[in-house]
Amino acid sequence: MSIADNALTDEMASRDDMIVCRGVKKWFGDFQALRGVDVTVKDREVMVVLGPSGSGKSTLIRCINRLEVHQEGDIIVDGVELTNDLRNIEKIRSEVGMVFQQFNLFPHLTVLDNITLAPIWVRKKPKAEAEAKAMELLERVGIPEQAAKFPGQLSGGQQQRVAIARSLAMEPRIMLFDEPTSALDPEMISEVLDVMKDLARGGMTMMVVTHEMGFAREVADRLVFMESGDVVEVGTPEHFFTNPQEERTKLFLSQIL
Amino acid sequence: MTDTTIDTAPPEAPLPSPVRWVRDNLFSSVSNTVQTVAFTAVLLGLLRWVLGLVFADESNWVSVATNMRLLFTYNYPAEQFVRIWFAAGVLFVAVGASFAAWNINPSITLRRIGVSLMGTGGITLVVALITPSATPSGLRTAMWVLGVALVVIAAVVLRVIPEPHRRRVPFLGLLIGVSAIVCAIMWFVPFGDYGFSEGEPTAADGIVASSTRVPWTVLFIIMIATYVAGRGLAQVVSLAPLRRAMIAWWVIGPAFIVFMVLRDPEFDWAHIWSTDLPMAAGFALGGGALIYLLAAPGRSDLARVLGAIVAAAAVFNWVAAFFGWYPMLQKARFSFALAAIAILLVPNFAGERSARLRVAAVWAGFMVVFHWLLTGINTASTLDITAPPFLGGFVLTVSIAYYVMLASFPLGVLLSLARTSKLPIFRVLSTTYIEVVRGVPLITVLFFFSIMLPLFLPSGMGISDLAAVFAGYTVFSAAYMAENIRGGLQSVRRGQYEAADALGLTTVQRTSLIVLPQALRVSIPNLVGQAIATFKETSLIAIVGGFDLLRIANSTIPNQPDFLGQKRPALLFISLVYFVVAYTMSRASRNLENRLQAGQAR
Amino acid sequence: MTLTTTDPNSARARHARPPLWRNTAVLKWFVQIIVLLAVLAAFWFFAAQARNNLSAKGIPVSYDWLDDPANIQLGEGIQTVDDPDGRRLTMSRALWVGMVNTLRIASIGIIAATAIGVVVGIARLSNNWLARKVSSIYVETLRNIPVLVQIILWLAILGSLGKLTVDSGPIPGWVIVSQKGISIPRVFFADGFYQFLSMLAVFAVPIWWVRRRMRRTQEEQGGTQRIGSVTFALSLVAVVIAWFANPVMAFLGPVFDGISDAWAVIPQGLMQAVLSIVAVLAAVTWIRRFLDSRRTPAGLAKLIDDDWFRMIFAGIAALLAVFVVVRGWPGLSSWIINSGSDLFGVIGDKFGDGRGSRPLDAMKPTLSEGRFVNYGPTGLTMTVFYASLFFGLVFYTSSFIAEIVRGGIQAVPAGQSEAAAALGLNRRQALRKVVLPQAFRVIMPPLGNQYLNITKNTSLGIAVGFSEIVQVGQTVYNKNSQTLAVFSIYMIFFLACSLTISFVVNTINRRLAIVER
Ligand SMILES: Nc1ncnc2c1ncn2[C@@H]1O[C@H](COP(=O)(O)OP(=O)(O)OP(=O)(O)O)[C@@H](O)[C@H]1O
Ligand SMILES: [Mg+2]
Repeated sequence: MSIADNALTDEMASRDDMIVCRGVKKWFGDFQALRGVDVTVKDREVMVVLGPSGSGKSTLIRCINRLEVHQEGDIIVDGVELTNDLRNIEKIRSEVGMVFQQFNLFPHLTVLDNITLAPIWVRKKPKAEAEAKAMELLERVGIPEQAAKFPGQLSGGQQQRVAIARSLAMEPRIMLFDEPTSALDPEMISEVLDVMKDLARGGMTMMVVTHEMGFAREVADRLVFMESGDVVEVGTPEHFFTNPQEERTKLFLSQIL
Repeated sequence: MTDTTIDTAPPEAPLPSPVRWVRDNLFSSVSNTVQTVAFTAVLLGLLRWVLGLVFADESNWVSVATNMRLLFTYNYPAEQFVRIWFAAGVLFVAVGASFAAWNINPSITLRRIGVSLMGTGGITLVVALITPSATPSGLRTAMWVLGVALVVIAAVVLRVIPEPHRRRVPFLGLLIGVSAIVCAIMWFVPFGDYGFSEGEPTAADGIVASSTRVPWTVLFIIMIATYVAGRGLAQVVSLAPLRRAMIAWWVIGPAFIVFMVLRDPEFDWAHIWSTDLPMAAGFALGGGALIYLLAAPGRSDLARVLGAIVAAAAVFNWVAAFFGWYPMLQKARFSFALAAIAILLVPNFAGERSARLRVAAVWAGFMVVFHWLLTGINTASTLDITAPPFLGGFVLTVSIAYYVMLASFPLGVLLSLARTSKLPIFRVLSTTYIEVVRGVPLITVLFFFSIMLPLFLPSGMGISDLAAVFAGYTVFSAAYMAENIRGGLQSVRRGQYEAADALGLTTVQRTSLIVLPQALRVSIPNLVGQAIATFKETSLIAIVGGFDLLRIANSTIPNQPDFLGQKRPALLFISLVYFVVAYTMSRASRNLENRLQAGQAR
Repeated sequence: MTLTTTDPNSARARHARPPLWRNTAVLKWFVQIIVLLAVLAAFWFFAAQARNNLSAKGIPVSYDWLDDPANIQLGEGIQTVDDPDGRRLTMSRALWVGMVNTLRIASIGIIAATAIGVVVGIARLSNNWLARKVSSIYVETLRNIPVLVQIILWLAILGSLGKLTVDSGPIPGWVIVSQKGISIPRVFFADGFYQFLSMLAVFAVPIWWVRRRMRRTQEEQGGTQRIGSVTFALSLVAVVIAWFANPVMAFLGPVFDGISDAWAVIPQGLMQAVLSIVAVLAAVTWIRRFLDSRRTPAGLAKLIDDDWFRMIFAGIAALLAVFVVVRGWPGLSSWIINSGSDLFGVIGDKFGDGRGSRPLDAMKPTLSEGRFVNYGPTGLTMTVFYASLFFGLVFYTSSFIAEIVRGGIQAVPAGQSEAAAALGLNRRQALRKVVLPQAFRVIMPPLGNQYLNITKNTSLGIAVGFSEIVQVGQTVYNKNSQTLAVFSIYMIFFLACSLTISFVVNTINRRLAIVER
């Protein structure tokens, strides 16, 4: 596991940078949501993104797999730059998994079909192989017995775990999480966080937007604090929770902790 | 979809005592009492007026009875009727099998049956009481007897049998019961036997002709048997393949039926062997092989380039044929165009060997059916017809409605996708089309197509009247279809698109695998509503020259020397026919809606 | 697979553009433009075919025939034959008569269908069992029988009524029902009507001013001023004054005539210039607005490829419009000039010194030569054709409106009226202030659709020989084979109707809309 380093400089950037954002700017009409964001996530690193509501966390993470299109700056994912190039977009989308706050499972497909859909149609896998893999993943997230059900028949926590399994089925090198536990009842949060901790331990590169400070403290290699479209501070958990540098970070942490 | 039956009916409360019921529902307050009095007057007045129309002295109902065959099948030659019955048989089998496949078995309580019997009986008695003096006395007596009988049966069901609101009659029982009643009426009620022989109306007392009652009885038996067989099959095997087969049947089947009903082709075997079969085989196998090769992962660029080339060639074929540079066969032109679309779509369905084989097989099967249908349509009918148009009456009404729905569906899907698309030119084009078509009356569209379409075609190309009208209906209906589907598309939440994108699905895959299945399910009730509207709108064929139900009732029958000027009975009769069909459909759609809602709530 | 792998360390310049055939923005627009070209090509192709086919038959498309004498039999309308005092029944006049007939039946039909539909819809929610049953039978029966069948059935029923005499019908002399139609006394606009209207318009200004003053006082000082009653009383006074004093407004006649003359001398070149400038200005405004919406607070606009394409398209559209106005279709400008002048001329004719002072008049039905005189000072007669179309449309549509009303009221959650009751509103207040406004928002859009349907369905009058626009048009093109021209008139007329209706409905809906978010 790479050791986080606050003072990451250009010289030290290397092949094991999985996500590189440099000067990323994004406007919605005349509203600027990202004002030149610089973030780098290394291979096998877990990066947690913090920030008040409306600070552009979701926008940033959605730019990384091109659900939103950034207008200025560079985003390079696993050595592939995100441009209008169809092939680069395809490549990045199949390498980056994403988990949404609202799960976004496909309600007309069974759990199993939800998971095998992309491997079959995008990765062109044989059906049997995809299903075997899906069952394996369902084991891993702890709900193999739900395979034949429809998403509407599952609890929120179960749905989110299916959503994670669905992303993992594409064998991504990077996982993006946008507030995966915010829509869940308290008793279901831990079951989802456990799955995410497992993933992190397994060495997955992850970028996680969350308000779960316990999770951030335990799992994150580094944290980013954003406000109004700017990165305010980057650092390790000890750095953040014991000795934040910026006033705004202190204020935010004092409110949330 | 799971096979759990969903019981949508809420538990029914037991029936209150009659006195209590009357007090609660009719005389609970002053205003309530006033309403009861007012609406009683309205009801009796209207009923009496309608009965006056039906049983007036100048209404000669023999005109309807004698022309039954004309109304339903127009000039279809009687000696060929077995084909109509065969087609109807196929239809009934399909209905029975579909009921079984989708596990449709709404059971209803005895109480509901009792209440509706009571209502029917009560209305019959009121009618018997106020019907005008012109009513035949036999009929009036029959009404009295029937009314009393129904009320007595209803009273027994509701009051003697314990807990009628808990006892349910299963669907099969209902099916058998209704069929039995319909058949019994045909076998025992002395309607009389009317018809034409040698152009002269004939009339005989007794029950309806055996050529009517026997086939109908057989049809009902077939339907019930299919249903039972289907249910039995469902116990043994999974329903999914049956459902898929039924959907395919409902799409292809009608074409097959038309083929059965309209055509008695004397096949030109020489042409078939020299041209038709080789061409079909060439497109099915050659195209299939090409598609198999292109469906390998990583050949998407090649497929796009090849697809563009074939598309250009297909367009060129059409242009060349239009200007008469060289007359390529219509079938080949269509097939090339379809091949271009298929090749362009192939990268979306690429995969490993079995997936590739499946795509190729779908193409080959599609080509075979397509060539067979096109051959069928282009082969002259050799039915021996005495009067020029032989397609007409109820058969025309129903088939036009069905084919219009079928043909406008893909068009409507494309238009709605374009209208909700993010691409501005597509949106503008589709919105313009939809709004212009929805802004003008159907009749002008139909006139436009029946008069103008021939003008728009290059010289030497013709189009039959009915085909032109059909095209008009399709164009019109597609715009409304698009709006209905758009409602469904808008109900698909943005997260669904984003999840599909994040998984790396292409736009075509996202649309066909994620968005449309959800959108269409939501649109089903609206689409059924549109089917009803289309069914009713077919009556406009009468204005543009087709012999549909309305035209026959309004001008053919009143012009027969024996029934000069007899419009009213026939018009009332066809109103009843339209009503029965449309009302049944709307009831079915309401049930379906409940079913879907219950399904959603899981 | 080769990928544009980039070294994150190199400079910004490396920002490689993807090749054209893989660039999503380019692909997107390429596909759209191809489809657009294909559609245009198909249009061009069909238009060329139609032109060739028509020229081959010797009937090139033109609109010159509009001024030809009509020589057609119009069943009814504001003018059915050449007027003795000079106004000839030209083709265009005949089409105009058809349009008026359509609008007449549509507007009265809309009112009648709404009235019946609302009553039936509310009856479907009654607490009385019989009311519910009867109204639901009404709805189910009428909406499941095709409207055309109903119209023709009505014709068959009305056609078999008794012979026409003055004292046939339920109230002899006043309400006459016969196989020739239905006749009732009528109130009609007499000579002074337009002067009366313009006078009312003049009075509206001070009344509105008083109203505003009172409202402001009420807001400042609280309490309830009797705004409604005062407005009503003032309006009543205004109506009474205008009723007697309306000849005063006769001077408006020459004024409108003057405008008409002035309009007629506008040179065609000026009109073309004005139209071109309007087109260009529209495009420029659009582009500027668009640029503004893309502009960041900091400075210049951030334009993506899409935005460039859009602006180029707007520019091209404007140039095309200019081209059409100046070269392609000079008739457009002269048409605007001529019809504008005609319009003001017609308005001018409605005023004048010779006009009597009574704005409204009423008459009983009168018989002449065994049939009703329908226009002019006489009773209001529905011919059987009119009546069958009218009854058919109204009853059919009312069944749909009833369902819409019922659905709209049911769509208001029960919690709303409970909340109103909890606030102490009584039943009537709750209905008026809480339930109905919300139901209205649900009801309005589908109701507008039904109004549009009535308007379009008037075209079924062709089946019973009622002279509405489609029937008249058909007679016209059967005479002179100008099918394409007549169809273009149909289309413009009905599109104008539907735009008007949707505009009105949208405006009402916007007024009613609860401001959300
Ligand atoms: N599609 C959009 N159109 C316009 N503005 C948007 C859009 N999406 C986001 N924004 C704006 O961009 C800003 C950043 O939004 P974003 O969703 O990234 O915030 P966030 O940090 O994820 O907040 P939260 O914690 O509430 O999810 C917000 O002010 C939001 O209003
Ligand atoms: Mg967010």
